Amino acid sequence: MKPLKNAVETDNLRKVFEIKQGLLRRNAKTVVAVEGISLTVPAGQSVAFIGPNGAGKSTTIKMLTGILKPSSGTASVLGLDPWKQRSKLVHQIGAVFGQRSQLWLHLPPSDSFDLLAEIYGIPKNDYRKRKALLVERFDLGRFLSTPVRKLSLGERMRAEIAASLLHRPQLLLLDEPTIGVDVIARQNLRDLVCEWNREEGVTVFLTSHDTGDIESVADRVIVINHGRVVLDDSLSGVSANTLIEGKPAGLEEIIAHLFNSAASLTMQNCISPS
Amino acid sequence: MKNSIRQSWAVAKVAARSNLAYIGEVASRTFFLAVILFIFLKLWQATYRESASAVLGGLSLSQMLWYLTVTEAIYMSAPRLAQQIDEDVRSGALAVRLLKPISYPLYCLSSALGERIVRFLANFATGAAVTFCLVGPFDCTPAAPIMLLVTVLLAFVLDGLGHLIIGLWAFWLEDTSGLLLIYTRLSMILGGMLIPMELFPDWLKSFVLFLPFPYLVWGPAHLFVHSDWLQFGQLVGLQSLYILVMLGVVNLIYGWALERISAHGG
Repeated sequence: MKPLKNAVETDNLRKVFEIKQGLLRRNAKTVVAVEGISLTVPAGQSVAFIGPNGAGKSTTIKMLTGILKPSSGTASVLGLDPWKQRSKLVHQIGAVFGQRSQLWLHLPPSDSFDLLAEIYGIPKNDYRKRKALLVERFDLGRFLSTPVRKLSLGERMRAEIAASLLHRPQLLLLDEPTIGVDVIARQNLRDLVCEWNREEGVTVFLTSHDTGDIESVADRVIVINHGRVVLDDSLSGVSANTLIEGKPAGLEEIIAHLFNSAASLTMQNCISPS
Repeated sequence: MKNSIRQSWAVAKVAARSNLAYIGEVASRTFFLAVILFIFLKLWQATYRESASAVLGGLSLSQMLWYLTVTEAIYMSAPRLAQQIDEDVRSGALAVRLLKPISYPLYCLSSALGERIVRFLANFATGAAVTFCLVGPFDCTPAAPIMLLVTVLLAFVLDGLGHLIIGLWAFWLEDTSGLLLIYTRLSMILGGMLIPMELFPDWLKSFVLFLPFPYLVWGPAHLFVHSDWLQFGQLVGLQSLYILVMLGVVNLIYGWALERISAHGG
């Protein structure tokens, strides 16, 4: 198979929702959730895709995973049209949602792994090797046979990420993967994601409000607000090139400013006072 | 198709195993079942005495209690399938499930089947033990357990599809608990859970036989006490026909539901 150059390509992706209001006279109101997003994410890159609540992050991710059909524009994820080829695409995507589990609460992680192997149709031999590798690298051996409900959040999240990697996805979606996790476990999770990104070349698409996650995991930061990309730069570039009111600023400060003020950007990523 | 069967079997196995963790809940249900069967015995004893008849609707008192053992075991094994779909839609957990290469309705149905089989077996074992103590052994034919197993499995698939249809309405309604209440009460009354269909007025019986409800509860229980290969064949045929029709309905509603996510957001 020819290696992919870009994991994600979107061109002027737009999503408009129609919301009907009123009981008897159903007046339709349109809400623009995503307003013409154009992105190119090279395969193997780690991208932090961030924005305030309601910015259009989750709508964009749903369009990239084929759950939502764009109102206009095009998207290609891992060379596939997400909407038309969703069933093919989901075989190549891994997803971890910090607030939703894919593991069965009353069963050990091992049982959920076995089920996922069946769902993804992983051949038995491949699965055995892959599981052994993930158990070793994610240090799951101690609690592989313990019901998930008895695990600490850090342990559970390790098992969640390992579960999402069982089928060798090319794209890993991480949505708030460290939410509620303690400092040490959080760093451990970030290191594991970075390792996997380096070693298997999996493209990472991270959404998080934790700047520590972004700084540890991402090569590139894309900030979205009001459905538009308001900042797109390499992680080092964001801090080096962005000035707030003429002064250099840290990542957290830049993000907070973008979230609060719908700031406008100049060529040098200078955020002017609104 | 082969893939879907393999996936479905794997999900059902895991759901069955997971349900064993709720051993307290299973035990409380079975205790409740024992109480219900004792009350039924007293009620039907009085009914048989008052009617001065040894047989009602073709069933002796012993057969009646064994019939009710099966109907209660079926009815009380119902999983929270519609409520689960309702929650998935409202909480947005559906988006996570859609990222897996298994059809969402198939996942829900398989999980509910796995869970229900465990509950049914626990309910039936307890119910049979209680009924045995109350009215003595049941003189069933060797074919009766086989007929029961096959028709109960088909009944669970049919009922699961009914729950799926109700749960999928969560895409349009804020809350499907009202619909679920109507469905469960209809299957309880028209399905013959409390009173066998043989005791229904003729006009009601002939009307109800056109609905799927009798094939969820009455059919398997009736066959257990009156084993007959011809009736077994008819029941399996009707259950399969309704399963096909309801599969079509589920597919249609699910297709609309996916369109609705796209138009109005998840």
